[in-house]
Amino acid sequence: MTDVLSAPSTTSNPVLAAARVIQNRNIGDRYWQLVLEAPTVAERSKPGQFVMLSATRPGELDPVLPRPMALYDWDSTSGHVEIIYGVVGRGTHHLSTFHPGEELRTMGPVGQGFDLGPAAGTRLLVVGRGIGTCSLMAAAADAALQGAHVTTVESAREPRSLFAAEKYASKGISDVHTVTDAEGTSDPDQLAQTLRGHLAHHPPTLILTCGSSRLASLCMQLADEWNARLQVSVEAHMACGLGYCHGCSSGRRSSGLEGPLVCHDGPVFEYDPTTHGYTTMGTHTRTPQQ
Amino acid sequence: MNVPVPPPRPVDLSVTLGSLTLANPVMPASGCFGPELGDLIALDRLGALVTKTIFYDSRSGNPAHRLAETPGGMLNSVGIPSPGMAGFRSSVLPRYTSFDSPVIVSVGGLSQHEYWDVIDNLDDQPIAAFELNVSCPNLEKGGLEIGTDPREVEEVTRGAVQRTRRPIFVKLTPNVTRIDEIAKAAEAGGAAAVTVANTFVGMQIDIERRTAILGNTIGGVSGPAIKPMALYLVYTVAQAVGIPVIGCGGICSTSDALEFLMAGAAAIQVGTATFGRPETMIQIIDQLPEAFAAHNETTAAHFTGSLVAAA
Repeated sequence: MTDVLSAPSTTSNPVLAAARVIQNRNIGDRYWQLVLEAPTVAERSKPGQFVMLSATRPGELDPVLPRPMALYDWDSTSGHVEIIYGVVGRGTHHLSTFHPGEELRTMGPVGQGFDLGPAAGTRLLVVGRGIGTCSLMAAAADAALQGAHVTTVESAREPRSLFAAEKYASKGISDVHTVTDAEGTSDPDQLAQTLRGHLAHHPPTLILTCGSSRLASLCMQLADEWNARLQVSVEAHMACGLGYCHGCSSGRRSSGLEGPLVCHDGPVFEYDPTTHGYTTMGTHTRTPQQ
Repeated sequence: MNVPVPPPRPVDLSVTLGSLTLANPVMPASGCFGPELGDLIALDRLGALVTKTIFYDSRSGNPAHRLAETPGGMLNSVGIPSPGMAGFRSSVLPRYTSFDSPVIVSVGGLSQHEYWDVIDNLDDQPIAAFELNVSCPNLEKGGLEIGTDPREVEEVTRGAVQRTRRPIFVKLTPNVTRIDEIAKAAEAGGAAAVTVANTFVGMQIDIERRTAILGNTIGGVSGPAIKPMALYLVYTVAQAVGIPVIGCGGICSTSDALEFLMAGAAAIQVGTATFGRPETMIQIIDQLPEAFAAHNETTAAHFTGSLVAAA
């Protein structure tokens, strides 16, 4: 819990930009890969952060609200930023009609990302479900690059909904597990048994998860068992992306205090094993990220 | 023979709202703005800054979901979370007053006295004006919105006017049968201007789950979808009162702003458009001089209410 006086963000340094579409293509099931030319975003992004994307052409009024989009991958040399999105409603359907050469309006990067801590001795487990895998990719890649051992789980409805294996491989991550509803392998209890068996001798020191409240509960159990840190990235409807509209918070009238803002205090929150709840990143003393 | 080209007549964007003069008629709508935008746009260029509605006590907002998108608009039931007076004075207001633009504080209350207590508490601060958000439930009158009862509006306005030398604006709710009567009540209470209007009550349903999408079930509709209705309300109120009208409701562009001015608004507020295009207000300010010149006007005041009656 925080009150409504959120501290000014220390990690966000957003810019407004018209980003040229480099690629926008379906990669299976309802998922689309969007590559944008957004050099400043590519330069400033940190794992777990997101951009607000407005999918309107000049003169178009709909969709009125920008969409928060996790930054899947970026390259500060080319200035390219990669986003994976699921076509689930009018807004994302409209986004899928944008062709290379057209421009999308972006505001970002924003949000508090993951805190990986020092890589030395880190054994990282990332557990993503569906589109939630997107916010985990850059963190997994960064950790692997710095020498951490990384184990990943990608959970999806069916095999054609899986999209991350190739990207994980390109980041040098080979301990990759996929589970799907269609194959009957995605049940959290079953996954828990698999992970306990697989990681028993070298349990993770840090777990990151996104995309499923059931998997977040599973990760909470595993974090307790293994005495591992756990960070969860949360999704929410948003309007401003900066913290002033309070559209992404969840109120608690009885307390008289406003809940944390997903856009500004999150989207990544840290599990607190003493309360079995989540707290805002950076509210506990820890070694800063190297 | 060369015909000398007359120099372009300078355009004066300034507007006067009671005792307050603004450099231009463009300001944000309360709730759709925060000093966080200072990272992205030049807030010193806005005619004024308008805070989120402040209540005397600290309070939370509504349960999730607080937002939903609608065709050409959005629904919100944020519920106006507030840090209370102490937090507002120490942490929120200084972030607004650090910019050069005049600051208008939006005031809420669950009773008439709460509005007045907020004004008493803040009257020592560097504030340009107060805007009373009367779309709040009056807990002393069974929860009915203060803004739906002309007598309540007149009383809350009069009490506010008595407590400060700063101009009092009253932001009217559109969810009434006769907005002109409410506007006249605000004028009778001593309001320096009325803001027309707030969001329209609405809802949206998830048919698979058979539940309302908003955690609060109902919310307020804003955005371009409400522009024709808001414009009509501005037109109606501007004919009913002698005080300036601040137009608000779905303004996304310079041409939208001109429509509101022609309908009778002296100034305009931009709300929902800022979410998708944070630079909207700055673009309107940039484009107004040329738009005025194209209509052979040199001052914003000449534009206000310049609608020509149909033949």
